[in-house]
Amino acid sequence: MTHDSIEILLVEDSPDDLEMALRALRKAHLANHIHVARDGAEALDFIFGTGPHLGRKVENGPKVILLDLKLPKIDGIEVLRRVKGDPRTRMIPVVVLTSSKEQPDVVECYNLGVNSYIVKPVNFESFAGAVAELGMYWLLLNHPPQG
Amino acid sequence: MAADKQLVQPAQELHELKAALDEHAIVAITDPQGRITYVNDKFCQISQYSRAELLGQDHRLINSGFHSKEFIRGLWHTITHGKVWHGEIRNRAKDGSYYWVDTTIVPFLGTDGKTREYVAIRTDITERKRAQEALERLAAIVNSSEDAIIGKTLTATITDWNPGAEALLGYTAAEAVGRHMSILYPPDRQAEEAEMLARIARGESVKHYETVRVCKDGRHVEVSVTISPIRDPSGRIVGASKVMRDITARKAAEEALRKSQEQLQSLVEQAPLSIAMLDRDFRYIVTSRRWVAEYGRGHEQLAGLRHYDVNHDLPASWKEVHRRALAGEFIQNPEDQWVQADGTERWLSWAVQPWRNPANEIAGIIISAEDITERRRAEAEIRRLNAELEDRVARRTAELEAANKELEAFSYSVSHDLRAPLRAINGFAGIILEDYGPQLPPQGREYLERVRHGGKHMGELIDDLLAFARLSRQPLVRRPVDATLLVREALAELNPGASGRRIEVRIGVLPMCDGDPILLRQVWVNLLSNAIKYTRQRAEAVVEIGYEPHAIDGAYFVRDNGVGFDMQYAGKLFGVFQRLHRAEDFEGTGVGLAIVQRVVHRHGGRAWAEAQPDRGATFYFTLKGASK
Repeated sequence: MTHDSIEILLVEDSPDDLEMALRALRKAHLANHIHVARDGAEALDFIFGTGPHLGRKVENGPKVILLDLKLPKIDGIEVLRRVKGDPRTRMIPVVVLTSSKEQPDVVECYNLGVNSYIVKPVNFESFAGAVAELGMYWLLLNHPPQG
Repeated sequence: MAADKQLVQPAQELHELKAALDEHAIVAITDPQGRITYVNDKFCQISQYSRAELLGQDHRLINSGFHSKEFIRGLWHTITHGKVWHGEIRNRAKDGSYYWVDTTIVPFLGTDGKTREYVAIRTDITERKRAQEALERLAAIVNSSEDAIIGKTLTATITDWNPGAEALLGYTAAEAVGRHMSILYPPDRQAEEAEMLARIARGESVKHYETVRVCKDGRHVEVSVTISPIRDPSGRIVGASKVMRDITARKAAEEALRKSQEQLQSLVEQAPLSIAMLDRDFRYIVTSRRWVAEYGRGHEQLAGLRHYDVNHDLPASWKEVHRRALAGEFIQNPEDQWVQADGTERWLSWAVQPWRNPANEIAGIIISAEDITERRRAEAEIRRLNAELEDRVARRTAELEAANKELEAFSYSVSHDLRAPLRAINGFAGIILEDYGPQLPPQGREYLERVRHGGKHMGELIDDLLAFARLSRQPLVRRPVDATLLVREALAELNPGASGRRIEVRIGVLPMCDGDPILLRQVWVNLLSNAIKYTRQRAEAVVEIGYEPHAIDGAYFVRDNGVGFDMQYAGKLFGVFQRLHRAEDFEGTGVGLAIVQRVVHRHGGRAWAEAQPDRGATFYFTLKGASK
């Protein structure tokens, strides 16, 4: 798996949620193109080719980012702000995955230009379904303009 | 000779008789036409005309015009019929003055039987007439006087009683004269009469003595009495005259004036401030007690004393203020600070102004002063307390804000941190069932299902709790809301028909209301979902939605024919997580009615319920501003 072939960046710190998300993506046959970041800093390094990912071209970014909001080190809001604030990454669709229904989060995410937003339901099936659907949707149907 | 002598003798006598007559009487003789043919010296003297002026004239020359035509006609009728006329006549002298004469006119007949001449013999009675007239005038004065004028003897027997006495005391003259004065005395003043009589007997008079007398009808009247001795011509005191004047009205007026003055005096004296009225020489006329206490320098009475003598150390600035007030200025200082001799600081509110007499001249000044030290102290205290209060409010607000922030953080953490492990429990239970279900015994699968069920329920509790917490923070946006539309929307969301049950929903006439449509929608959703839920066991469920205009403010209601509840638990209905039914019978988190109540309270309304076990329940709520 090379960096260039990465299609989905999954940013998730919770091992449980990560495992369930990966299982859902596996079941949807999307698992081969996933890169996982466990905190905000790691996600930013991957996206912008810094730190351990030095040399990785920003332009060859993931096709979609599934982003948890509550993350160690740098939180999801900040990651979203950096992605949407940089012309090179602004076009990458970002789907926020969070257990928060709290309005300030939702409002802020929309203000920052999030493409979609899903609350992780407690109900397992709907969570798996939502993750799989979203991954598919952004990968297959919503091709970002190349440039 | 004898004959001569006989003749001479009567002539002599006649001559002497005439001389005697002329000496005493006024004599005139007129002819039958009334022309004067003879007058004696006395006639000339009294009429002031000379004989030459009188002779040949008739008596109209001295006619005073006083007597009526009938009187004159009667006179002539008498004498022309040969009879003697006698009467009193008022004549006019040459200088216009009048004189009265007692008159006898004797007609003398000639041999032909006709009147030859009239001889008028008169006596001057002017003095007597004048005295009589004076008496009559006096009597008229006495009779017309409004004062009671009473005459009495030295033994206090009433001798005279004028109409004024009748008017004042009620007795007529006939009733009073001859009776004893004591009928006019009240029992407690009977001794007065003896004392009066004693003074009268000594020749003294009593002037303007004020006392009380009793009227015929028993009424008491306040009078002023003046008593003077009456003397007979020889100067002996034979009685007393009493002039009595009704002074009831005057007394009442005096009393009213005295009272009014007393009140004014009290007002000034007892006024709760220091006030002093000074004349142009700055002498005290009247001062309030507080003034005496505060500025009297130990004097008990200040009236008549000079302000500057009492306060000899008065600063020049004050004297200047007094001088300006006396010149017509109104000077005041609502907050003036001064330092007492002992160094303590006092605050004074004072005013100095001129006062004017009825002629509108400045007659002095009025100084008023109020010690406002205590008030200022109290004001300062209030200001300090206010500042402290504001400070405390600010601190409390900050604390509240902090608590609110904390609560928000708590909600956030609840939604994140509690839901995450829950998701793991649910998720992995689901994964086990999905991936390894067939390898598990049925009992194991059932237990796993229970794990998932519990997790799911906990998720709902958390969601509802967060929704409930959000209600308090969400701003209330009031606008006119169509309640019927809200009910229809809520019903559409709940979709009671989908369950396959037979549910009859009746919607009555619902008035518009003022409120937040998003929040009110939650009220209806919760009440209606309850009604649908608790009628589950009914073959034919009836849910009625209506408006009761007669309740306080008018109340919306949702009525069902479901299981109802015992009213003794009604107090628990609206509490968070409070449930009146077992979870196996009716699922739920116990937050719905808490949400209803929170929303209704935020709208200034009230929510309550009426129910009987197994006989259905009715939930009411009011909203402030619901229009009928």
